[in-house]
Amino acid sequence: MTRLTHVMAALLALATLTACAKGPERSPLEVELITTIREQIALRRAPKQERPPLTRALLDTIESPYIEVTLEANDVFAYLQPQLVLEDDTPGELVNWVTEDQVSVALRDGILVATRGLRGDLLSSSTLAQPGGLQGPEGQGPRSFDLRLGDHESKTLELACSVTDLGPEALEIVEITYATRHLQETCESESGRVVNDFWVDSRSGRVWQSRQWAGPLNGYIRIRQLTL
Amino acid sequence: MTGSKTAAKHAGISAGVLTVIALAIPYSPAQAQTVEAAPNFDRPAQPSLNFYGSPGIIDLPSAEHLPEGQFTTTYSWFGGTSRYNLTFQALPWLSTSFRYNGIQNLNLFGFDTYYDRGFDVRVRLWQEGQYRPAVTVGLQDFAGTGIYAGEYIAATKNFDVPGLGGSTGNLKVTAGLGWGRLGSNGAIGSIGTRGSFDGGDTGGELSVDQWFRGDFAPFAGLEWELDDRWGVKAEYSTDAYELETQQSDVFERKSSLNFGVEYQKSPQLRLGAYYLYGSEIGVNAQIQLNPRHPPQQLRIPAPLPVVPRSQWATEPEHWTTDWTASESKRTQIRDLLAEALKADGLVLEAVTLKGNVAEVRYRNNRYRSFTLTIGRVARAMARTLPPSVETFQIVPVRRGLGLSTTVIRRSDLEALEFAPDATDALVAVTGFQNAGPLPETADFSDELYPAFATSVSPYTAPAYFDPDQPFRLDLGVDFSASYAPAPGWRVAGTIRQRVWGNVADGRASNSVLPRVRTDQVEYAQFDTTLENLYVSRNWKPGSDLYARATFGLLESNFGGISGEVLWKPVNSRLALGVEANYVKQRDFDQRFSFRDYSVATGHASAYYEAGNGFLAQVDVGRYLAGDIGATFSLDKTFNNGWSFGGFFTLTDVSAEDFGEGSFDKGIRFRIPLDWLLAKPSRNAFGLTIRPTQRDGGQRLSVPGRLYGQIREGHRKSLLDQKARIWE
Repeated sequence: MTRLTHVMAALLALATLTACAKGPERSPLEVELITTIREQIALRRAPKQERPPLTRALLDTIESPYIEVTLEANDVFAYLQPQLVLEDDTPGELVNWVTEDQVSVALRDGILVATRGLRGDLLSSSTLAQPGGLQGPEGQGPRSFDLRLGDHESKTLELACSVTDLGPEALEIVEITYATRHLQETCESESGRVVNDFWVDSRSGRVWQSRQWAGPLNGYIRIRQLTL
Repeated sequence: MTGSKTAAKHAGISAGVLTVIALAIPYSPAQAQTVEAAPNFDRPAQPSLNFYGSPGIIDLPSAEHLPEGQFTTTYSWFGGTSRYNLTFQALPWLSTSFRYNGIQNLNLFGFDTYYDRGFDVRVRLWQEGQYRPAVTVGLQDFAGTGIYAGEYIAATKNFDVPGLGGSTGNLKVTAGLGWGRLGSNGAIGSIGTRGSFDGGDTGGELSVDQWFRGDFAPFAGLEWELDDRWGVKAEYSTDAYELETQQSDVFERKSSLNFGVEYQKSPQLRLGAYYLYGSEIGVNAQIQLNPRHPPQQLRIPAPLPVVPRSQWATEPEHWTTDWTASESKRTQIRDLLAEALKADGLVLEAVTLKGNVAEVRYRNNRYRSFTLTIGRVARAMARTLPPSVETFQIVPVRRGLGLSTTVIRRSDLEALEFAPDATDALVAVTGFQNAGPLPETADFSDELYPAFATSVSPYTAPAYFDPDQPFRLDLGVDFSASYAPAPGWRVAGTIRQRVWGNVADGRASNSVLPRVRTDQVEYAQFDTTLENLYVSRNWKPGSDLYARATFGLLESNFGGISGEVLWKPVNSRLALGVEANYVKQRDFDQRFSFRDYSVATGHASAYYEAGNGFLAQVDVGRYLAGDIGATFSLDKTFNNGWSFGGFFTLTDVSAEDFGEGSFDKGIRFRIPLDWLLAKPSRNAFGLTIRPTQRDGGQRLSVPGRLYGQIREGHRKSLLDQKARIWE
């Protein structure tokens, strides 16, 4: 009897290991659960990748534009390249940047308007970008953030924003120093205050670096333009 | 498109958001302040729970309520008394609980250990104000045998007080009046007379004549939250535990004061240790989940952006419709589209291409939200279809049934993706309508029809509430296969191999009705069984109508023929259906033979989607035991797949013939796998709990009933999740 129980237990263990589903139908719950556990184990065992430090010499070998995006809360970062450049009905040039593993951020004249592939994405946002060229945000006015929160829903946050010029600043990005102006956008709402910082090229108006709020789950993100 | 994916492989820079590297980012105090000040929509504060699984002190309730939608499970134990509780906060001011309890060594009513089930309900009369306390009325164990029957009115007020080590603390003061069990110690008065507890009763009836009758006694309690994690509690209990300490000898009650200390281990888990009634040590483990706040947020790969045709179809000849005439061109487009959908885990069923209009039918086996898949399909269409196609008709398909048609204009997709209010702007110009019949000119996917699917999967089959052993379990492996020869047709079967289990040792049936469900133990005597084997066909007999016919071994207990027709317009919250079945009871060995019992059973059903996710259903008809009556059910559902609800069935079977419980009733809940694992999935853990499983008011369990499959693809569900259309 005990031997039979052992054989049966071994069979069940085997079935657990070999649980599988094939064909264009939905997989059973147990199969999905076991697959996920297997994936998690594999992920934990995977060796961590080491990266070489960034140097200008390395960046000079790269021909396409790149930005570096860092989630400030946990120092997770990635390099992104443009996927789409768009002139639509809204003022400002829109660039959608993407990582290799399908996380994207959309910037309108350097101002964050959407994220995808993060948690609690910024679905869309209005900006204080002005028509007529790159300048970063300008002046004052309302902004709205539509954030993915809750039960497959979104929450729209209405903010009253104003931009102040904190004066010239020399900004270094990987061995190159740019002459920039530091613009600070302060947005107030009932549920809190958002402070976004932009370092805008004194001549061209390009946003070289920024620190912007990407919603309550992702917090502030830092963006640097590495190559053009 | 600017920049291609391969360019990312340059010179050692490769991207990857998941790789964590500690960069020494200079973090100025001013920036730390902006993090503090930023808007935050965290989990709302949640009260701690008592030994009955409701907000409260230790053994007594408070007036607090949980955040709306909160689902809690608690296990408490002291002095031989154990209670498993499930509580659901259905409305901001209304919560319900189900409890299974065991009292060791009670030695009354013919049981050593006395097990019982009970339901509670709590209603908040008003919220806490600046000066006034919150007030709640509660009925504890209000139906059935009522071993814990008691009613109360409680008031709770919060005060800011210092906490531990300089942190801010909070003091909750509760006072109340209890009746029944909660008025059995230190009574100060009495209202009328109260019937007494009868442990041998069949139960199941509301004890209206007992509520707020008999002695009443004042109780009080304190909870001091020392910081975010630690709390201490003290209370004066008005429960005399007469049954346990006077009629029996379960424990000794030496004092009316209880004390405890609790620790919040995570937002979901709280643990407590207590000293109760001057003699007993107790423990309480509280798990609180909120459907709106998953333990981890789901992260799904970003979609590819829509590239406006103006960027790539620059010559006039790009815009002709000549391609429609070429079959090879159409096949090429179909294959491109199928590839694009596959990248998102979706399966192309068929595509119909006309010059300016394209209809895509697809199957979604991956994502919970149909709105999300509609957005992904629209993007795939924008990526692969010739520029002349301007109108997209998107039809999700389930088991051959087109659920609805979403009509989106391609130029809207191109113009609105990065608009400031992208979601509302797109939804405003999107149409939802009935899915018409499959066009004759449709190009079917190569990979479906005929299609085979197989799975090997472990299974568990539990059995509850046997007085000798409250929980029994069988486990083993299911071997399933299905074959779909043409859209809507399906042949499917499952062979079940039990590996281990003890359901077979359960209680034999004592039912006087035809034993349509209580022969579970007889059916559990066999290790290798044919769980089901059937042919089914789904089709749409008309606009807004859905039909199903199923023939074969439908479930483990019955085989026969089943037919169903459902009326559900895409834009309607109401649905009506009829189902008719003629079935024969299967032999206990669950192979191909049958027992003598056969029955014609069927129902007329009405379904209504009320506001706030409430789903009401009424079924009137004839049940498996030949009894006639109606089932009423109400479920609170969430977009993310959570649901929690209850049902009861009244039929012409008398309470006496029905047996324990008097009539069929139960609660059910569903916790989606994707919510738990933060990974896309359409599966869910579901559980239906009946206090007692009897034979009256039982329905056939046919695979593939229509309503649940259809509703998710209709306008209300799609719009409730509109935020996901661009995701």
